[in-house]
Parts: sequence; C-alpha cells; structure tokens
Amino acid sequence: MSDFGRIRSIAARIRRERLFGIRMNIMLPILLLFLPGMAWGFSDPNIILPGGHQPSTAMEVLFYASLGVVFGATMCAVLLSFDGVSRDRASGMLEVRLAQPMPRRHQATALVLGYLQSILIPVYGLMVLCLVIVRIRMGEWTNLEETLVYFVSTGLILLWYTLFALLASTTAKEQGTAVAFGVGVWFFFTFLWALVTTMVAYASGVAVGEANDPAWVALEGALDLLSPNGVYHHLLETQLPTVDRGVPMWQTWAAAIAWTVLPWWALQRRMEALVP
Amino acid sequence: MAEAVLSFQDVQHRHKIPAPRWSKPWAQRLGPGIVDLNLKLYRGSILGLVGPNGAGKTTLLRMMAGILPLQTGSVMERIDSEEWTHVDDLRTLVGHKPEQVRWQGKTTVRNILLELGEMRGTEGHRIDALLNLVGLHHRRDEQLDNLSQGMRQRLSIAAALLGSPKVLLLDEPFNGLDPVAAQAFTELIQRLANKGVSIVISSHMVAQLGGVIDRIGLLHRGQLLDEGPLGDVETRLALNGRYTVAGTGEVDLEELLKGIEVDQIEHESDEDGWSLTFRGEAQEVLQALLSNGVALSSWAPVAPNLVEWLCAATGMDVQDISLEVASSAMLPMRTVEVGEDE
Repeated sequence: MSDFGRIRSIAARIRRERLFGIRMNIMLPILLLFLPGMAWGFSDPNIILPGGHQPSTAMEVLFYASLGVVFGATMCAVLLSFDGVSRDRASGMLEVRLAQPMPRRHQATALVLGYLQSILIPVYGLMVLCLVIVRIRMGEWTNLEETLVYFVSTGLILLWYTLFALLASTTAKEQGTAVAFGVGVWFFFTFLWALVTTMVAYASGVAVGEANDPAWVALEGALDLLSPNGVYHHLLETQLPTVDRGVPMWQTWAAAIAWTVLPWWALQRRMEALVP
Repeated sequence: MAEAVLSFQDVQHRHKIPAPRWSKPWAQRLGPGIVDLNLKLYRGSILGLVGPNGAGKTTLLRMMAGILPLQTGSVMERIDSEEWTHVDDLRTLVGHKPEQVRWQGKTTVRNILLELGEMRGTEGHRIDALLNLVGLHHRRDEQLDNLSQGMRQRLSIAAALLGSPKVLLLDEPFNGLDPVAAQAFTELIQRLANKGVSIVISSHMVAQLGGVIDRIGLLHRGQLLDEGPLGDVETRLALNGRYTVAGTGEVDLEELLKGIEVDQIEHESDEDGWSLTFRGEAQEVLQALLSNGVALSSWAPVAPNLVEWLCAATGMDVQDISLEVASSAMLPMRTVEVGEDE
C-alpha cells in the first residue's frame, strides 16, 4: 500500500468511528439548529436585522447564516477531535500506534483528515440543505463562485479548529486539559475576540463600535486577520460587493494559508516529538 | 550459542524534565533515563530485563521499539554471519507490547489489528494467522470492550507480532494475568522463541520470569549493571549454588556437616523441624545428612530474588537501593563488563 493509501485508509477508519459515534448523535441536533435553522431564519422575506438591514441576496443570507458555522460547527469540530491523541495516550494505544513503522507525520496527517472528514460530511450535507432552503424561501440560488467560496471557507475554518483541538490533544496529558484547551481556544476566538478588538481600538484611540467610522472598520478588519473566525468572515465577504473593510483579497487568502500551514506544521512537529 | 541479531552500542536517552528559571520559564534539563547502554539481542533467546521501579526498563524498551529517539549511540543489525549494518528505523524490526493497553471501543479484535496492520503493511491473512497463534481466533469479531484482561494481553501480543518482527519487546507482560493465563502466555512466548524471535521481557517480579528466560539483564538507575546467560550472571555475582534443605527432628548440623565446605546463609529451627539455607557442595551435604539418618522434608535450589540480584550487582544494601530508586540522580554505578559476543 502506498503512503497516501495508508493515510487515506487510517483517516477513513477514524471518520467511520466518529461519524457513527454517540458524540455525533448529540451534535447533529445542534448542527441542524445552527445551520439550516439560521438559513431558514435569515431567508425570511420579512426579516429586519439590527440597524434596519435586510438581506437581499442568497449569498448575503448565507453570510449571516454562517454565524451557525462559527458558533455551532466549530464547537462540534473541537468536541469531536479534542481527544484525538489524548484518549489514545490514556489507554496506551498511542504507544502501540507510535511503535508502528508509519512515519509520524503521516500519522498526524491521517488524524487531521479523519477528524476533519467526520465534521465536514455532516456540515457539508447541512450546507447543501441551507442552499435549498434559501432557494425555496428567496427563489434564488448562489452562483458557482459564491458556492465554492462558501464551501471552501467553511472547510477551512473547520480544519483550523480541528488542528487546534488536535494540537491541544497532543500537548495535554489527560482528557480534561485537552477539552479545556480546545474549548478555551474556541471560546477565545468566538466570544472574547470582540473584547481584544475593543481593547486594541481603545488603546489606538479609535472610537469603539462606531460602524460608520472608517478607522474602526479598518482596525476591526485588520485585527480579524488574526482570528480564524475573522478570516472566515473576510473570505465570505469577498463575495459581498457591498462590504469593504479595507482588507485586500490577497491578504485574506494569505491569512487563510497562514492559519492552515502554521498549526498543521506545529502539529507535525508535536507528533514527531510525542512521548507516550 | 545463538547469534546476535541486534546490537545497541552506547545508546542513551534521558528524559527532559522542566527546570523553570525566572529568566527562562520553559527551560528543561536532562533527567533520568538510560545512560550509555550496550546490549546485544540473540536469536531465539529470552532476555529478562529486571530492575526496581524507576530503573528505566520501560524507557529502554521504548528506545528499543523506536518510540523514543536515541540521543547518542547507534543500533546495528546483523545481516549475515560477519556483516552488520546500521538500523535507521527500529520499528520495522521490533514488535512492542506496552505495559498496559486498555483496548476499548466498539471496534472488533480483527478490525483493530487490520488498522494497525495497515500502518505496518501487514496483509489480512497474516492477521488471521496471528489470531490463531495467540488463541484469539474464536474472538476475532468480539468488540474490544468485551475482552477480558488475559485476552487484552493476547491482543497486545498479536499487535506486537504484526509484521513478523525479529525482536519482541514485552513490558511487564504478566501484570493482571491469573496463573492459568500466565502459564498459557509463557508457553506462547516459548513457542515464539523457538521460532527464532528474540524476546525481551521487562519485569520487577523476578520469580515470574523463572523458567522462562535464558538470559538476564540487571537494570538500575538507567544503567545495565550486568547482562548474560542466567547461570553466568549468577556465578559472576556469587548468587549460584544456593540450596535450602529442611527436615524434622533434632539435629546438630554443625556436627553433621563438619569437614564439608558450607557457607551457611540462614538456619532456623523450632519444635516442628529445622531448615538450612547454604551455599556449597550440595551433593556432599545431602549425602552427609542422609547417611546419618536425618529425616528430610524438602530440598531445593534457591533462586535469587530481585533485591539479591541488585544488591549483588551494585554492592549496595537493600536500604540504599530503595533510596536510590526514589532519587532521580544519574550517578555512575559499578557495572560489570557486558556486551561481548558469546
């Protein structure tokens, strides 16, 4: 079997185990509520958002509904993979796996792919449902480019959180630390990032929360590049012509690449140095 | 004499332990581990690696399994009677059974082996043969959650044997096994040795290794104090030729054994009888006792226990050894020359 075939095969086993596990049964209702539920709500023809805004295009609805990805799907990604390594470490299985002559980098890649696939498959399925819901409620499909960006960027944010959770799992000696680290990172970027943005704005002398103040919009846009959720929204905003936060598209994609490459590289290094 | 298959030369791995300083909170220093160890493994032999808790047995096995990197030294593999070659990846040659693997989950026995087999490139039919060998064939479709401790140990052995390793490392394999399972396990190990697999068993329970191992390695504070065929090491450390004899009735042993070179180690007597542990000419002692009409109730050679092995190898008394176990110091110890090709 080739190296790639071996990686694919191990990933498929992880995917099968996680996809049909109890944890997934618990998460599915959450995902259903957050993804198709939000798409249904935001595509209501009578919806008026705070500030009097009304979504007018299918992509705009998906952009708002992407809050479901940020709040729900990323949390599920963390909860699926937080014990990807620590569980094996606790049971002694890690020592058995590390004793096999499969390069540790390949083992890390199989872990990432396996856990990513286990969250991507239900999320992508529900995203297709979102597209159908928007079509039914608004009579409009997203175009190919919008759909592609929607799916790729969602795949990327789930990859980032999977990588964070697995990194935490390789570092933690026991399950509690692994879940605390994984959920902590998720909590920080999902809920506390606004606080970081506010503090930086205050320190920079920028009026906080003034949506019409170009300085605030630019600062918030720049700081968002430092957060995976922010980068995710920047990626989606590339398909919203009415939104301009002063961040060029190349910077957004560069940040996306950095958020992909750096944690993946860190995970590979951790795996290389891992002691059972 | 069997030929050596793998040679570890001056290998070292010391664990890094946190040593935070104000200026460098992430600083680490080298802690306990394995220091400058030389060891050869022989085809079809069973080496018992003994030492107290914290001696470095698990660390050494993990090094030998390729899980922990060698910080210094090298490993050579014999490719024919004269030639040796460097080993880049020990994991292809070695099968490793960790001390405790809690096989758990809904996966079946066969599927978990298939998964590990894929990591090793082992084919499905070989896995069925392995399940036969370890006596788990009838449990191949059992979920891991439903396995008993003995079956889990067998599964661990099967996992270690994936890829037909030349060397099999077993870390505390008798832990948690009942006497029946332990006996079956011993027979399995001996079958594997007869097939030419070199086996290393680590244990702090020397008594359990009796009758299983043919070589012994004494490990203490990360150093191999002595290693070799069981009898040779016993002789080197003056632990051979010890017997215990017991009998009934009142006897004057000093008088009876006068003229025979006997080193009395322990002598007890009460109203039920007497016992004598000694080192010396066993046949002469036995003859002297029997010819004088002494009623004997038992007669047996005495195998050294772990404490005796270690006291003899280190020259320390038992108190010092137990204190040293608690310490993480890596001071050089008195060691016997080892690693010569026999």
